[in-house]
Amino acid sequence: MGFIQVEDVVKRFGRTLALRGVSLSIEKGELFAILGPSGCGKTTLLRIIAGFEVPDSGRIMFEGRDVTELPPDKRGTVMVFQNWALWPHMTVYENIAFGLRLRKLPREEIDRRVKWVLDLLGLRGMEKRYPGQLSGGQQQRVALARALVVQPRVLLLDEPLSNLDAKLRLRLRGELRKLQRKLGITMIYVTHDQEEAMSLADRIAVMRNGVVEEVGSPEQLYSNPSKLFTAMFLGRTTLVLGKVVDTEDRTAVIQLGEIQVKAINHGLGKGDTAALVVKAEGATTRQPHSPGDYTVLRGTVSVSMYIGSFIEVRLAIPGLEKDILLDLPSDEKEPPIGSELEVYVPLRNMHAYPAEEEIVKEALEQA
Amino acid sequence: MAKASTARAKPSLLKRLYPKAKTDLEIFLLLYIPLIVITVAFIVPLLTIIPEAAKADYKGLLSNVYYLELDKYSVNRFVVVNKLPNEIRVTINGFDFGVIGNSIINAAIVTIIAAILGSSLALLIGIYRFRGRRVFSVLAYIPLLIAPFVNAYVVKVVFAPSLSPQGNTLSYLLNHLFEPLLGKKLIIAFDKQAGVALAQILMFYPIIYINTLAALGAVDATLVEQALNLGARGLKLLRRIVLPLVVPGILAGSTLVFILSLEDVGAPLVFNYDKMISYQVYQFFQSAAAGDRATIAALSLILLTAAAIPLVFIRRYLSLRYYARLARGAPRPFQGIRLGKAGYLVAYLVFLPIVVAAATPQIGVIILSLSKRWVGPLPDLLPAHNLLANFHAIVSDPGLRRAITNSLTYLGEAIIFVAILGFMTGYAIARARLPGAGLLDILASLPLAVPGLVVAFSYFVFFSKYSLYGFFDPFLNPGHVLVLAYIIRKMPFTVRSVFTSVIQTPEELEEAARSLGARRARVIRRIVLPLVWYGIVAGLLLSSIYILSEVSVSVTIGALKGGPIANPSTHAAPITYAIAEIFTLPSVTGGTQPQARAAALAALLMITEIAVIAIASRLARRGQALITL
Repeated sequence: MGFIQVEDVVKRFGRTLALRGVSLSIEKGELFAILGPSGCGKTTLLRIIAGFEVPDSGRIMFEGRDVTELPPDKRGTVMVFQNWALWPHMTVYENIAFGLRLRKLPREEIDRRVKWVLDLLGLRGMEKRYPGQLSGGQQQRVALARALVVQPRVLLLDEPLSNLDAKLRLRLRGELRKLQRKLGITMIYVTHDQEEAMSLADRIAVMRNGVVEEVGSPEQLYSNPSKLFTAMFLGRTTLVLGKVVDTEDRTAVIQLGEIQVKAINHGLGKGDTAALVVKAEGATTRQPHSPGDYTVLRGTVSVSMYIGSFIEVRLAIPGLEKDILLDLPSDEKEPPIGSELEVYVPLRNMHAYPAEEEIVKEALEQA
Repeated sequence: MAKASTARAKPSLLKRLYPKAKTDLEIFLLLYIPLIVITVAFIVPLLTIIPEAAKADYKGLLSNVYYLELDKYSVNRFVVVNKLPNEIRVTINGFDFGVIGNSIINAAIVTIIAAILGSSLALLIGIYRFRGRRVFSVLAYIPLLIAPFVNAYVVKVVFAPSLSPQGNTLSYLLNHLFEPLLGKKLIIAFDKQAGVALAQILMFYPIIYINTLAALGAVDATLVEQALNLGARGLKLLRRIVLPLVVPGILAGSTLVFILSLEDVGAPLVFNYDKMISYQVYQFFQSAAAGDRATIAALSLILLTAAAIPLVFIRRYLSLRYYARLARGAPRPFQGIRLGKAGYLVAYLVFLPIVVAAATPQIGVIILSLSKRWVGPLPDLLPAHNLLANFHAIVSDPGLRRAITNSLTYLGEAIIFVAILGFMTGYAIARARLPGAGLLDILASLPLAVPGLVVAFSYFVFFSKYSLYGFFDPFLNPGHVLVLAYIIRKMPFTVRSVFTSVIQTPEELEEAARSLGARRARVIRRIVLPLVWYGIVAGLLLSSIYILSEVSVSVTIGALKGGPIANPSTHAAPITYAIAEIFTLPSVTGGTQPQARAAALAALLMITEIAVIAIASRLARRGQALITL
């Protein structure tokens, strides 16, 4: 049994079902990310684990103990909010010391611990400032310090970096990762940013529409997703529909408009409708050394843009409604719009799944 | 997938609440204590009117032309013109539909005219920039100062028929122009219902003005700028874009004006027009409640019903959330466009006289407070060395001194409860997600919509039955009943202010403290109170001035132990009843007119109001919405 156990949790807000039976098991000391698009229920799940919401049914267990109805102040979990929730009427020192004072620690101990966390997060010298006098990055660190200083059993983070600019976000992401390794604190990290989840987490739960689609390590989920939604959600991808014309042991041959392609097969049989997810990266117009690991897409270039690190191409395949997004290496020639093109796509970037109606519909509408 | 959860039976309410009550008892107390208090101290007494009113003879009541008259005699004296050899007398009397008809139809007419005046003035001042705009807006605020009875008295000397051969102040001033022009004097006077309506329109239109202006302040500039950008101008811009956005503000203000007109005692009393429900209820208490109780109960019930009908339609605009949105204002409110030539003409020829006329009563109160008397067209000012004689007279009159002490004592007692209950209510509505929170939201603002006279009568009936010879016996301890009425009636101002401050404070600030291990009581002490105290204080200041200037309950329940004149050493009356009592005295006696002393009392009240509103709006950083009724 896991350190934190979420068992079949259901939560409804009025008419909307926010969580439809979620179960998870989180190990001690791991950094566990909950990843999903906005509105998928990830924040609700975090708030239930924190005790701010009580589920309509299901249980939350900490180390085998049922805490479902325990209020947030009795759980030993500490939450770091998206907007950091620093108290504007207290100094940095008072903000950080708040939790320690609640625990009625002696003054010297409080002082020692606050100093420790200030050093840990590089906030020395800011003690007397008010939150309004700090930069965004500093505020974020104070929020983290305030949570870490009480040495919580679990640290819950709700998109803590999303209010920062891109550069700062990258830096703090690295720091957070280092810190977690150093302190060995169990963290649950909610985000909609797949890159953030993959770079930080030991394991990721991908959520959609109130359910957990898939749980796994970042590599597992990215390179061999077992669910259509995971495949589509991670990376730059295109989802198109085709028909399975043949299956070999791990692969399937799929009729895609007027062409046939190969893809890794996730449970399709001959004659099935396939939802094919194509990852944009790794594509090339040059003949590869081992053509057996590739499949070939043939079509007309409808969009071609030089991005810098790659060339973004949209390929219109005859008989297919939707264009496929592909990234060519930037040292290749930028293909002119309207030209015929033959692109080699690595087989590991082609995944075919049974066409789940809801996901397919959503994906096609978005395009 | 959705089915999986519906299959699970939802546990019973009690079962779901119990664990929460065990772990977060504070939020339960914060929500359910005010809910119970308001229900027991307000709703239950209000309901006792119903059995009392059931005893009335409605057939007799409605067929009695004194109470209800709908025929040609109702309007045949609407305007009376007397042509005399050297003067023309035009007297506007209005209609007489009987006590019930008068109250309701008068309130409807006052509301419609006030709505037109108030909203168009708000559009002028809120949308356009022009020379003199500040003067307009200052003048428009003046009638909001409450100077009960005295303001109506000034309307009377300025507009009502006068015994003086020169007529009232209005005619006196106009005849400087007309007499040389016509060769005759023109005497224009408003009397009876028309006089009451005029006084009420001048008194109440700013409520609609200010509500509309607040709604306008919540309209984002981009909406108007986009319309301007697409070529909308002038009336089209106002009608198609701006007006629809501020309709909620106009409706909210209009409903309150309708209720205030229904329950207004001041204008009918001063114009001595007894054929209105409010006057009848007032008279009932004047006769030490010896009159026909069943009829008064029936009239109160009619008042309550009439006040409730418009409320049903605009309920959501009276909700705290709507108020909070107004109070917050738009991120970038519209800055105004320049007024054209035609606009200037309308502003200065139509609106300026209106705002000046509406500010006249309050300015007149100050003048009267510095006068020996004002019964003819012009006031008779006190000599300069003795200008404050009326104020000295107040201090040296033991009955009036007692009235001031009474008011301050009641205020002191009431405000403690308003602070505690008001904070609990405002916080609970903002934060509690428990059954009953929605109900409290409605109940908390309801006292604003129930006519004060109805509250007074219901308390009288309720407490003379259930607290006979007790703590709340209205004859023995009218002061206790008054304090309770003040708490209930004026708490909504504090609740609103607290609610607005709390929801403007991110809930995460509280949750962060909770997740660090603080119980809610501690979160409130360490996080909530330090962040919202200014909202609480602003609300309490407002509640205070509305308690000091409260009329309906003060002049009814407050009269049960006599007043400063009848009973100077033992009366339980507050300031507003002292003023009312003075106005029942004959207006001309030797020396200084007693009404001038009342004006001095009212002037003190107004000065307090100005100071308090200035402090409160600074605290809440949003003046207009704050004093939105």
